[in-house]
This record gives sequence, structure tokens and C-alpha cells, in this order.
Amino acid sequence: MASPTLTTGTPGPGKNRGARRVRRQLPASPWLFAAPGLLITGAFILYPFVSTLVNSFTDRRTLVPGEFVGLANFRELLHDDMFWIGLRNSSLYVLGVVPALVLLPLLLALLVQKNIPGITFFRSAFYTPVVASIVVVGLIWVWLLDERGLVNSLLEMLGASPVGFLSDQWLILLSAMGVTVWKGLGYYMIIYLAALANVPRELHEAAAVDGAGAVRRFLTVTVPAVRSTMVLVAALSSVAAFKVFSEVYLMAGPSGGPAGEDTTLVMLVQRTGTGLTGRVGYASALSVVVFVVTVVLMLLVLRADRKEEA
Amino acid sequence: MPTSRRTFAAAAVAALVLPLSACGSGGDGGGSADASGKVEGDITFQTWNLRANFKDYFEGLIADFEKKYPGTHVKWVDQPGEGYADKISADAAGGTLPDVVNVSPDLVAPLAKAGLALDLDKAAGQYEKEYLEGAWASHRIPGTDGTYAFPWYLNTGPLFYNKSLFEKAGLDPEQPPKTYDEVFDAALKIADKTGGEVATLANVPTIEDFGRYGVPLMNKEGTAFAFNDAKGVALLTRYKELYDAKALDPQALTATPESSGKKFLTGAVAMNPGSALDLANFKKQAPSLYKNIGITDQITSTGHVNMYVMGLMVNAQSGRKPAAVAFAHYVTDAAHQMSFAQQVAIFPSTAGSLDDPYFTKEDGTDETRVRVAAAKSLKDAVNYTPVLFSEQMKTELRNEVAKALQGKQSPEEALDNAVKACDRLLQQQG
Repeated sequence: MASPTLTTGTPGPGKNRGARRVRRQLPASPWLFAAPGLLITGAFILYPFVSTLVNSFTDRRTLVPGEFVGLANFRELLHDDMFWIGLRNSSLYVLGVVPALVLLPLLLALLVQKNIPGITFFRSAFYTPVVASIVVVGLIWVWLLDERGLVNSLLEMLGASPVGFLSDQWLILLSAMGVTVWKGLGYYMIIYLAALANVPRELHEAAAVDGAGAVRRFLTVTVPAVRSTMVLVAALSSVAAFKVFSEVYLMAGPSGGPAGEDTTLVMLVQRTGTGLTGRVGYASALSVVVFVVTVVLMLLVLRADRKEEA
Repeated sequence: MPTSRRTFAAAAVAALVLPLSACGSGGDGGGSADASGKVEGDITFQTWNLRANFKDYFEGLIADFEKKYPGTHVKWVDQPGEGYADKISADAAGGTLPDVVNVSPDLVAPLAKAGLALDLDKAAGQYEKEYLEGAWASHRIPGTDGTYAFPWYLNTGPLFYNKSLFEKAGLDPEQPPKTYDEVFDAALKIADKTGGEVATLANVPTIEDFGRYGVPLMNKEGTAFAFNDAKGVALLTRYKELYDAKALDPQALTATPESSGKKFLTGAVAMNPGSALDLANFKKQAPSLYKNIGITDQITSTGHVNMYVMGLMVNAQSGRKPAAVAFAHYVTDAAHQMSFAQQVAIFPSTAGSLDDPYFTKEDGTDETRVRVAAAKSLKDAVNYTPVLFSEQMKTELRNEVAKALQGKQSPEEALDNAVKACDRLLQQQG
């Protein structure tokens, strides 16, 4: 029976035929194993990606084949006010959501890390928003934050004036950020719990013996120990935040808030490129920009991590 | 490893070439408009969110058609209301558009321009006289010759108002406003009396509102928009006045028809446009509102109310055109529209049907009162929304209107910008 390891050794005179057979078989068999994955990746990731890239240089519309227009779509988006609004909002979303999603789930993980009776209930409770549908969650928050919703009723009971959570452009964005953070807490908490399980207890005990308080132990023991996880969370959450759609769409409405001022880049892609009169070429150019910014974001996070390590 | 390099190269070339090849395809020419021949074969019929409530009706209709035309088989598919245009887009782009498709005029326009909708003037012109003139015309597309869908059911509706909110503001609940100026004055009074707590309107003006106000929406050729004239500016100026006084709900800038309907149900707004369908909804979901419901005519400065038209389009690339045309006509003929109208509060688009006693005789209930009034107004109603007014254009108008209401720009600037943006989109549509 031929074994792949045979090819790495020096073939003896009697092994030549077997080794040749192995060499002949080798190039094909790994491809066969990889074929299902490659086909799926090719059909659902590579092809749409390349297709989007190609379309971004055309004036293609939903029902009209496009012609090559060079960089015209990219030039147009530089002069499109809505593009800059989208870029601003998506960037603000990253700035608002990522720090909260890096820090708060870590604190939550520290809280539920302890093995005390009933803690599983709290872990499950914190995780529940993660499994809930974003549309359902979004609608619940819309009802809560409505001008006549529960939150405003409570504020009025306390003597405060109602707050236009869903009518002011900045409050809509802030409310959507709040929902994203609230929904993401449980997910990142689980990641941190796994990381915290690997932090040696002795380190905490040694620090405590040396007189370090809880805050000091958190900063000097916990944070360095889970730093790589924090980078991972920052990378994942920043990419997700930049591509935000559902939360803002549900809270700001299909038009993207008052005068479209809450539109994010992905909402703009959806609005521009869908429907029977969708501008597929232009929407593809917007998607390419989203892709480039996302890659840059990832690289920035990873670079910051390397600098820290150095 | 020459083999793997070749494989990679082939994969890369395929990945690059396949999307490029897609650029060369697309619907640039429909099939022939000839629909003569034997009515036979399998066809697919797509409706827009109708299965849940009318399954039995459509199954019966299809069975009768198949019995009338032996050798035919109709496969019925129903799509949800949400994302319907996207579903049609995907089918149209993928060449899988059903043979008979339930459409609204704004959906027909791009399909007709892409050669995917059958010109019924050529293929089924003999049926034109069976329908109301305005309904048949609602599927004509500026810039093309022809009519691209059979008119199906129509809808229109009155303006509902909350009598108790009128009373609280010192207005006579039995004397509802009849003109735009009266609506605006009542709204300002209600806002004033309730300290801005009760708004009267919950939606910003749409293209349809500009039409009903008497603003010319497009030029005569249908090649450019024109709603930025003095009358359009006057309407937006009044809305700005309402917004500042909180007579227009502060959440109107982000409202959808559904959300404003809910506000009316909860008594947060005093007036809401609706249809005959809404009465049953009020009765079921808001019995206390139903007790205080006031019904008045749709406000219009033109003398013609707005109507919504549904149609049945025949796929120009269908391989079974005779059967598809026959079926679309069968569903929309006077007898079947009449039987559908008796199942739900919609109105037939066939000539003479609205003179049926069902639409002319009241029995003292609100339902028949609304039905009779709506049927009467539909005879010369207008579908104000231009068929070329796309979703993207609606968003542009809405955003510019919102900026004007917020005081970020004047009503003139807002409408000039909206017209400019819509004209640009119109030209891009080709």
C-alpha cells in the first residue's frame, strides 16, 4: 500500500514503481478532498467577490447589462453626499461600539466566571440576546424607545420630558449602538470566558499576596493575560460594526432616519443596488469601498497588537 | 506542480470571465407580442401576498380555468409582501420570471423597458374595452408604446379621523375638514389645544400628496419631473408650519405607512388616510377607537381621488403566451373581479362593475358607506404616482422634504434638489 511518506524518502531500487505511482496520485487526491470546500468557497465567496469587483467598473443596472465605465462610479461616490454620510455613520459606529464590546463583555465574563450556585442561569440569561433574532430584538427596542414607549413613559413618570430616541438623528444612531452592544455582550462574554479559564489562578493569588487590589489585579494580571483575545474581539466587532445594517435599518426606518442622516454604508449599498431599478454598478463600487475599509480596519487592529507586543 | 498551477489559472480565469460574461447578458429584447394560438400547456402564476387569506378562492379559480381550457396546468406561487420587488428583480435577471405576474404599475415600468412585459395593446388589445379607461391606462409607460399589464383590483379610501380628539380640541367632530386648508387649520388647532401632544398627520408628503394637491408631477412628455413649482412649494411650506407646531408628528420623518397607522390606532394622531380594508382592522384591534371613528372623503384639490392599481403582467418571454394571456384575462375579467371583490374590500377595474348594487346600495353600516363612497370616487380616480417614480426617487424626495421640515433648507431648495436628483435617476434608468 502506498503511503504519502514514501515520497519524502530516497527510493530504493525495488520501491521505484510504487513511489512513481504515489507521485502520480498525489496531486489529484488533495484536490479531491478539498473540492467540496473549494466549490462552495468559489461559488459563494470568490465568484460574488470577483463579480462585485467587475461590476464596480460598469454601469450595470438590475435589468440592463452594463458597459465598462472605468472609475466613473468611484468618482461619482466622491461627490455623493450620501456616501460621506454613510462613511461617517459607519465609522462613528465603530468608534462607539468597539470599545464597549471589548471592555464590557470582559467585565461581564469576570462576573459570571465564578462557580457559585445559579451562575449558569446568569450566563444563559446574558447569552439569550445573542440567539434572539436581530429583527425581533430591533422591533422590541423600537417599541421601548418610541415617543410613547416604555422608556419615555418612565421618564415622564419621573418628571422628565420625553426624549426623541427615534426622531433625532444622533439619538437614533446612539440607540442603535446600544442595541448592538446589548446584543453582542453575551457572544463576546463567552469568548472571554474561554480566555479567562486559561489564566493561572496563581498569578492572581501572587498579586493579591503582594497587596494588589481588584482593579490593580484586573489591569496587571487579567488584561495582559487576555490581551490577544481582546485584539480578536476588537477585530471581529470593528468589522461587524462597520458593516452594520439591521439595527440602524430597524430604528431609523428604510429611508435611514430624518433626511437619511442615519444611513450607513451597507444601507446605502442595499438602497442603491436593489429593486428593479437598482444601480448594481454603483452599489458594487460602494461594496468595494466597504471591503477596502474593512480590510484596513483589520490591519490597523493587528498592527496595533504587534506594536504592543514589541 | 504544473497541474495545480493550471488548475489555479483556470479557476482564476473562470472567476474573472464568468462575471464579465454576465455583463453581456440581460433582457434587452422581449419575445414576440403574438399571443395567438391554442391555449394549452403549463404556466406559472405569481401573486403578491394573497395565499394566506385567499387560498380557496385562487385554487377554485385555477381549477375552473383548467377545466375551461383542457390541456392547461397553472402552477400558483405566492410571494410575501416584504421584498416583492427584489424577488421579481432576481427572477427577471435570472430568466425565471413566471408567465403571469401580479404587479403594480411602478414594477411594470422597468420590466417593460427591459422587454420582459408583453405589450397587451398588441397581444390582447381586444380586451381593452372591458376595463375602466383609467385603469387600463395605468400600465402605460411614458417613452414606450403599449400597455403592459391587465388592470386587476383597485383600491382607494377615505380619510379616517378620531372624533374624540377633535372634540377635545374644540372642533366639531361632525364637521370634518374637506379641503387641504381646513385640514391644516384643524391640525394647528389640535396641536395648540393639546400642547403639541396630539399630532394630526403622521406622514411627510409623498409624491401622491403633491399630485392630489394639484401639483404637476412630470412634464407632458414624461421625460422630467416638475413638482418643484409654486404649488409644490406652497404645500411643503404648510407642512413645515405643521411640523414646527407639532401638528405633524415629530417621528413623521422616519415613519412608514405601517407605523403611522399604528399611531392612529393608539390615538397618538388624529387623522390617517386608509382604505375600506381598515375598518375591520379598527374594529378588531382598537374597539375604543372604532367607537369614535370619523370617516370623511379623501382630501384632494383636483377633484380626483388617488387610486392604487394592481395588475397582471404577462411575461414577454413566456413560451406559453396564449395560455398566459388567457389566464391573466380570465383572472381579471368582470365576473372574477366581482367575485374577488365580494371576498375582500377591493374594487374591480372592469367597466360597469362599479355600478353593481353591491357598490351602490348602502345598508346603514360603515362598511357599505365606505364601499359605496369609494366605488363612486373610483370611476374618475387617478393613480397619481408616476409609473417611472422608483423607490430610489421616493427616498430622494423624502430626504429633501425632511431637510426642509427640519429647516436645513427652504422648501424651494428642497424641491429643486429633489427634482434634480429624480431627473438624474430617471436618465440613468434609460
